[in-house]
Amino acid sequence: MKKKLREISPWKILGTLSQKGPGPGNMGVIIARAGLGKTACLVHLGLEKLLGGEKIVHVSLEGTPDKILSYYDILFYDILKAAGNNNQEEISSLLQRNRVVLAYLNQSFQIERLKENLDNLSKQMDFVPDTLIVDGLEFGDAPREVFEEFQQIAQGIEAEIWFSALAHRHITEVNERGIPYPCNNIDELFALIAQLEPVGSGVVLKILKDHEVPVPPDASVLLDTKTLLPK
Amino acid sequence: MSENIHNLRNIGISAHIDSGKTTLTERILYYTKRIFAVHEVKGKDGVGAKMDSMELEKERGITISSAATYCHWEGYNINIIDTPGHVDFTIEVERALRVLDGSILVLCGVGGVQSQSITVDRQMNRYRVPRLAFINKCDRAGANPYRVVEQLRTRLNHNPVLMQIPIGLEGRLSGVVDLVSMKAIYFEGRYGEIVKKGDIPPDLLEEARSKREELLDAASMFSDELTEAILEERVKEDLIHQAIRKGTLKRELTPVFLGSAYKNMGVQPVLDGVVRYLPSPLEIENRALDLDNEGKEVVLSADPGAPLVALAFKLEVTPYGQLTYLRIYQGSIRKGDELTNTRNKKKVKLGRLVRMHADEMEDIQEAGAGEIVALFGVDCYSGDTFTDGRVNYSLTSIFVPEPVISLAIEPEDHASSSKMSKALNRFAKEDPTFRAHVDAESGETIISGMGELHLEVYVERMKREFGARVRTGIPEVAYREAISKRAEFNYTHKKQTGGAGQFGRVAGFMEPAKGTRFEFVNQVKGGVIPTEFLPGVEKGFESCLERGLLVGFPVVGVRIVVNDGSFHPVDSSELAFRQAAIGAFRQAYMKAKPVILEPVMKVSIECPSEFQGNVMSSINQRRGLIMSSAEDGVFTTIEAKVPLAEMFGYATTLRSLTQGKAEFSMEFSRNAKVPEKLAEKIKEKLTGSKKGR
Ligand SMILES: Nc1nc2c(ncn2[C@@H]2O[C@H](COP(=O)(O)OP(=O)(O)O)[C@@H](O)[C@H]2O)c(=O)[nH]1
Repeated sequence: MKKKLREISPWKILGTLSQKGPGPGNMGVIIARAGLGKTACLVHLGLEKLLGGEKIVHVSLEGTPDKILSYYDILFYDILKAAGNNNQEEISSLLQRNRVVLAYLNQSFQIERLKENLDNLSKQMDFVPDTLIVDGLEFGDAPREVFEEFQQIAQGIEAEIWFSALAHRHITEVNERGIPYPCNNIDELFALIAQLEPVGSGVVLKILKDHEVPVPPDASVLLDTKTLLPK
Repeated sequence: MSENIHNLRNIGISAHIDSGKTTLTERILYYTKRIFAVHEVKGKDGVGAKMDSMELEKERGITISSAATYCHWEGYNINIIDTPGHVDFTIEVERALRVLDGSILVLCGVGGVQSQSITVDRQMNRYRVPRLAFINKCDRAGANPYRVVEQLRTRLNHNPVLMQIPIGLEGRLSGVVDLVSMKAIYFEGRYGEIVKKGDIPPDLLEEARSKREELLDAASMFSDELTEAILEERVKEDLIHQAIRKGTLKRELTPVFLGSAYKNMGVQPVLDGVVRYLPSPLEIENRALDLDNEGKEVVLSADPGAPLVALAFKLEVTPYGQLTYLRIYQGSIRKGDELTNTRNKKKVKLGRLVRMHADEMEDIQEAGAGEIVALFGVDCYSGDTFTDGRVNYSLTSIFVPEPVISLAIEPEDHASSSKMSKALNRFAKEDPTFRAHVDAESGETIISGMGELHLEVYVERMKREFGARVRTGIPEVAYREAISKRAEFNYTHKKQTGGAGQFGRVAGFMEPAKGTRFEFVNQVKGGVIPTEFLPGVEKGFESCLERGLLVGFPVVGVRIVVNDGSFHPVDSSELAFRQAAIGAFRQAYMKAKPVILEPVMKVSIECPSEFQGNVMSSINQRRGLIMSSAEDGVFTTIEAKVPLAEMFGYATTLRSLTQGKAEFSMEFSRNAKVPEKLAEKIKEKLTGSKKGR
């Protein structure tokens, strides 16, 4: 059943990649302009990981936990609907057990606090995530050191870390490796880079970087603008 | 009456305990000229505010405390609906929320948005109640309304907009600046009853201008007209009010007022805010279930000419008999009318119709859609729907949550015994989530409900209102049994004892059905079980749910499908089929792999961030799951799901873990399967103690 649900995820494209993702200790990022569904895309990633039996921590620098959790509920429901399934009780309790949302509201995010929170989760709850999802970090302003610290966290707990990065319509910089703003100067920090782009009838999720190997030509998928599920 | 519905506001005042709800309510009633002296709030036994204490009002010879108090402000009529102060999930709270169209959220200027405020606010979201906020206690040391506004944004996800800024703060609070009219407002006279307007103090002018900018920015999101007016620099007060009202009704904006109820500052502008920004009954869509059409939802219209639909939302015992508070959603009622109770189809004649003011009861002849009135001498339960017989609508769903906790009670003396049963009778009528029964085995009276606090409230009322002296036992979690698999049955009940025999055979299966207690599905074809015996079959099965065969807990979540059977032309009877169903249940139940369920609560804890680790470990020790943890710089709010059985005494634990700096609240989330190991323990304990008896 879980396998069937994972088939529906936009992130099934990870299966086409050399290591099926960034891998433990590495980082991935998804670049998108405002309003395209960055958060939804990350939540889909979270669901995909949860269905694969992983533990995740979803870090939100913008939305309240209520908002993030209801995103998970709604998108999970969409997946179930697409799979023609309605007996979700068992899976959804699994999702709850393996997911924690950490929110930093009111611009209160500090990497030190995140480390402490993760430490508390591990020591007090015996909860060590396999994947850390970080939504809403300002890439434009963040100094390189912040990402290096994230990298250390990833290596310390052997987790994958995924970010969302906000692109701007008026900033069109792209580096020689084809990586656009705001990751054009730090792309070597990420094992995997993906991008969401609007097309006529929907949104395309495509992979721009897959470790050090060429990206396979089929590593992109057309998504529905509302559910962000493959069309 | 009905033409005035535009000028009617049904509002609640909701708050975290101690933030000043009672004080604010009393000031409001005073300024609307319904109370002629202001008392300080002094707690339960002293002289207190109007809506809080029943006894006191009897003592003073005033009629009654009210579930809804009617008052007037500047040509508008306002019903203030008492929203129960406790935050445990109860039907009573939910019902109060249902009858109000808007609300004032009172926040303490020092404490700000605390975990109880979060729970209260969530309840209001569930009922889509538009609200405005009043930041009270701005006179207290440490008050910081700006921080509270920020918390409204970050913790409650509101879009708060300051309508005022304070003139002075803490001990020097002396009034407010109204950012719409750009005037200073002062409150003079002994009780602040004289509102004086003046120029903005020069040192506040700049701040007022910048905050007004913010207000205009936020308001213009809801009005193109206002946006244009701002560009052309011809903003009128009316335009601002309209835009703010629009945002408030859509629940996309929360106007924020401030002051000090205790020092009589800032209350009248809140009343202005209520009439300006909160909805009239016409602006709220209400729905009912059409029982003649499979319970389909229908939208009601606030038209006084339409068929009557009204909700009895609160019962009260008075020296003059039972008083029933009624909110009319559609149509109108008149003294002498005959009403039909949707629940039992009984007709009642409307003898006396009154409106409750704070200090008197006013007899009225009629009332229409949107209004809240009280009826005398109508026998009903709280939550009943009344119609004029033209429609068969129900305003409440049939679904009543199962109790999560129970408690043994015992009268201390003979006299208390009858008082206690009287009280229990009354409470069961008021609140379907409150139940009482006598345990067949121990002979003890057991009350059950939705939380420790819920039961405490009733035990307290038993003492105070009914004079029953009672002893209580230790609260116990209400476990349930549920099946986890489908299982077939095929059972023949046959008895031949002289005279007429008994015969009945039922066959079919049982399977888990989440979200219901019991569902009976008749798939019998070809009359193999005659229709007249089917009710016997259903009753037989239902009677088995009271006591599961695993441990003896009530059974929930089963669907029983009967698809075959047989009968005997002479020996079959309803009773025989009932017995057959009981036999069938016994045959299948254990095969259906029953499990024990326990109530799991959604717990919300707020603490200074440095205690996050301590709080998490306390959740972990209680078999809890962390859902989320949110920080906003100073405080952390942790949300978790924890079995109720583990929550006893949590307040004390939390206090010692956090030096008393944390707070928590909880509400029922769902029933979940008890882990195997624990289930064994429960079984052992219960079957063991039964043997011991
Ligand atoms: N300093 C100050 N104290 C207040 C204010 N409003 C209420 N109080 C006090 O706070 C306490 C709790 O008030 P009360 O109205 O009973 O709160 P409730 O529990 O929300 O109904 C009482 O001692 C009040 O006198 C205020 O505006 N300023």
